[in-house]
Amino acid sequence: MFRRIKTAFAAALAAGLTLGSGLTLGAGGAAAETAWPLRNITIIVPYSAGGATDILARKVAEGLTTILGKTVIVDNRPGAGATLGTTLAANAKPDGYTLFLGQVSSHGIAPNLYTTLKYDPVKSFVPIVYLDAIPNILVVNKNLPVNTVDELIAYAKANPDKLNYASSGIGASTHLSGEMFKAKTGIQMTHIPFPGSAQAITSVIGGQTQLMFDNMPSAYQYVLSGDLKALAITTLQRSPLAPNIPTVAEAAKSVDLSTFEATSWFGLFAPAGTPKEVVARVNAATNELLKKPEMIKFLHDSGAVVGGGTPEELARHVDAELAKWKGVIDQAGVPKQ
Amino acid sequence: MIDLFGNIAMGLGVAVQPMNLAFCFIGALLGTLIGVLPGVGPTATMALLLPLTFGLPTEASIIMLAGIYYGAQYGGSTTAILLNLPGETSSVVTTLDGHQMAKQGRAGAALAIAAIGSLFGGSVATLVLAAFGPIMTRAALSFEAADYFSLILFGLLVSIVLAHGSVLKSVTMVAAGIALGTIGVDINTGQFRFTFGLMQLAEGINFVPLAMGLFGVAEILRNLENRGADVGTVRPLSSLWPTRDDMRRSWPAVLRGTAVGSLLGVLPGGGATLASFASYSLEKKVAANPSRFGKGAIEGVAGPETANNAAAQTSFVPLLTLGLPTNAVMALLVGAFIIQGVQPGPMMLKQQPALFWGLISSMWIGNLMLVIINLPLIGLWVKLLRVRYEYLFPAVLLFCAIGAYSLNNSGFDVLVMVAFGAIGYLLIKLGCEPAPLLLGFVLGPMLEENLRRALMLSRGSLLTFVERPISLTILIALAVTLVMLALPSLRRKRDVAFAEEES
Repeated sequence: MFRRIKTAFAAALAAGLTLGSGLTLGAGGAAAETAWPLRNITIIVPYSAGGATDILARKVAEGLTTILGKTVIVDNRPGAGATLGTTLAANAKPDGYTLFLGQVSSHGIAPNLYTTLKYDPVKSFVPIVYLDAIPNILVVNKNLPVNTVDELIAYAKANPDKLNYASSGIGASTHLSGEMFKAKTGIQMTHIPFPGSAQAITSVIGGQTQLMFDNMPSAYQYVLSGDLKALAITTLQRSPLAPNIPTVAEAAKSVDLSTFEATSWFGLFAPAGTPKEVVARVNAATNELLKKPEMIKFLHDSGAVVGGGTPEELARHVDAELAKWKGVIDQAGVPKQ
Repeated sequence: MIDLFGNIAMGLGVAVQPMNLAFCFIGALLGTLIGVLPGVGPTATMALLLPLTFGLPTEASIIMLAGIYYGAQYGGSTTAILLNLPGETSSVVTTLDGHQMAKQGRAGAALAIAAIGSLFGGSVATLVLAAFGPIMTRAALSFEAADYFSLILFGLLVSIVLAHGSVLKSVTMVAAGIALGTIGVDINTGQFRFTFGLMQLAEGINFVPLAMGLFGVAEILRNLENRGADVGTVRPLSSLWPTRDDMRRSWPAVLRGTAVGSLLGVLPGGGATLASFASYSLEKKVAANPSRFGKGAIEGVAGPETANNAAAQTSFVPLLTLGLPTNAVMALLVGAFIIQGVQPGPMMLKQQPALFWGLISSMWIGNLMLVIINLPLIGLWVKLLRVRYEYLFPAVLLFCAIGAYSLNNSGFDVLVMVAFGAIGYLLIKLGCEPAPLLLGFVLGPMLEENLRRALMLSRGSLLTFVERPISLTILIALAVTLVMLALPSLRRKRDVAFAEEES
C-alpha cells in the first residue's frame, strides 16, 4: 500500500517533470501495433538512490519515457549486495511492466559467490539490451615510484608484500580486478576492503593503501587534479573520456595481459516469461535512446563505452561474464557462502 | 583573506538570486517538515525528489537538496525533544535532556535553544568550511585506520559518562550495542554473521528502526501502561522562550558544541555521528553539577544540537573539496551532482567556482531561514502535545512505520522496529538506558573495522597504534582521562553525584 502511494507520487513527479521540460508524449505509430504499454513501467534497481547504477537507470527511464509514451519509474530495492533487488525482480510478474537493471554483480559475480542465491542469472531473466560498460581504472598513490603497469609489476616483485590495494568490498569488481591482476602477473599484494568506493579511494589518496582498480568516473577526477596517477584502464578499448590512458592489455609489455578485461557493465533485463513483443519493443526503444547525442554524451562523460545490440548479444555477454568471474573467484580462492 | 571575501561575495551573488533563494527556502522547509516526521529521513526524501531536480538549473537543485539535508538535521531534534523519538543518529542525545525538559513543560525553551544553537553552530561552521575547507580535507586524509581506531575507542570509553545510572548497566548496554552491530556481512571476509539465513539482515540492522523502536515505540508502550495516572507525555508548558538563566547556561555550551562539531564533521566515515555524542560528554564533564544531566539540563540540548548542525555543515568539506561523501545523504548529493553533469571532486572548485561558493553561501542563508521557519512553529509544535494521547500515539506509530518502511521499501524494517520497541520497554523496566546501546551499535562496527584494517596494514603488528603520532596522541589523552576518572577525589565527586541522583 505504501509502495503504491510512493510509486504514484514518484509517477506524478516524473510526469510533471516531463511535461515541464516541454517533451512531447506519445510514441506515434508504434503504439498502434500493440496495446503495451498501457500503464507505467517500473525499472527495479538493486542499489540505493544516487549510485552509479541508479543514475544510469534514471537516465534510461527518462529517455524511455519519451520514446514509449508512458512514464518509466525507478524503484530502488537495495540490500545484500544487490541480491535482494535482483531476487525481487526475478520473481516479479512477467507482464512487461517490470524491468530490471542488471549489472556485473547480479549477472556476473554474485552467482559465483553466493551458493544460497534465490535466482538464476540465466533462467530467471530474459535479456533485453546491453546498455554500457564503465572501465575500472588502475590508479596509484602519487608518491608511489611507478608510472606504468610494467613498473608496478617490477616494484611489486622487488618489494614483496609491501603493496596494499583497496577495494569497495569483497566480491566487488574493484576487488576481483585486483585478484585477477595478481593471478595474471604473479605479484603479491594485500587486499584491504572498505565499505564503499569513496572510503577506498580516500585511502589511496591519503597513502594508507597504494593502489586501486576503481570505477572510472569518480577516480578519474583525482587523476586530473594530480592526487592520483593513472596507469591503465581495464577495458579492451580505450575510454572516450580519457583516450590518453592505455588499456592494461596495451600497457603490459613484461607480462601477457592481452585478455585482461574487467568492467562495470549494465544491461536491461525482464523477468523470465515476459512477452517477446515487449522485449523487442524495449530493445528497439533503448537502441534508439543509445543513439541520441545527449545520451551518448552522458555515457561518455561517465567514462562509459556505449552498448546497444540484440537480446542475444546480451545473453552471450552474460554467459561469458559468468564464466570469467567463476575462474577468477576459484583461482583467488575467495570464500563462497 | 581578501580572496575569501571575494569568493563569499560571489557566492552570495549566486545564492540571493530569487530562484535560488526560493529553492533554498523550499529545501529548508521540506527538510524541517520531513525531519519532524519520525523516521522519514532526508535520504528517502531526497531520493524521492531527485527526479524533480532533473529539470532545474544545477545551482537551484543542489541548493534545494542541501537545504533538505540540514533542515532535516534540525527538524529531527523537534521529535526528539517532544516525543522522545530520534530519527537520526545525531538526535539520540537530544532526547536525553530535551525530552526531560519537555516533560517539565519547558519544550518551548528546549526547541528555541536548539534553533538558536543550530543557527550559531551552522553559521560558524560554514565560515570554517569556506576558509579552511581544503586544508581540513588534507588533514582528514592523514587519518589512517589506526588513528580512527584510537579515536573511536576514546569516544566509546569516555562516553560511559553518557549514562546516568549504574556504570555496570551502561557498559552492558554498550556491549549489547556492539553485539547488534556485528550482524551482517563481515567487510573483511564477506561472510554473513548472525543473519540466521535472513537476506534482509545481510547488511545488518538499520539504525533508524532500531532507534525508533528503542526510544519511540518503547516510550509509547510505557505511556500507555501509565494511562489514567499521567496521560500524555508532557506537562502543559510554562513558557515558550528560554529564560535569562537558560541563556546564561547555554552560550558556553553552544561555543563548545560549535568547535567539537566543526572539527569532527570533517572526518570521513562517521565523524558527524561522533559530534553530538562527544559534545554531550564534554558538557557533562565540564558541568559544575553533572547530576543535572538526564533530568532536563539545557546545556545537554544546546551543546549537542549546535555540534550536530555544525558537523552537518563541515561534513560538506570532504564532498566539496574531494568529492568524497561522508554519509548516505552525501552519497545521494554526489548522484545529484552527476545527474547535473558536474563530477564532484577536487576539480569542482576550479571548474565551477560559482556553484561551489553559491552552495556555501546558501548554507548561511538556509540556516537563517531555518530559524525563521522554526521559531514561529515552536508554538505550533508545542500545541501538538495538547492533542489527546489516544489520538497522538497511533499517528506517531503510523509515521514511524512509514518511516521504517521507506528506508529500503521493505516491511522487514517495520518488524525490526516493533521488536526493538518490545526490547526497549523491557530495558525501561530493567532501568537500563538505550543511549549507550545505540552508541555501541554505531561505533562498535567502526571500531572493529578499523582495528582489523590497521592490523592488516601493519601485517599484524600491534605497535602500529603507538607508532603513528595521531593515534599515540589520542591514546595518551585517553589514558589521562581514565586516570583522572580513577583519581579518588574525582571519584568521590562522581559517587556523590550518583547518590544525589538515586535519592
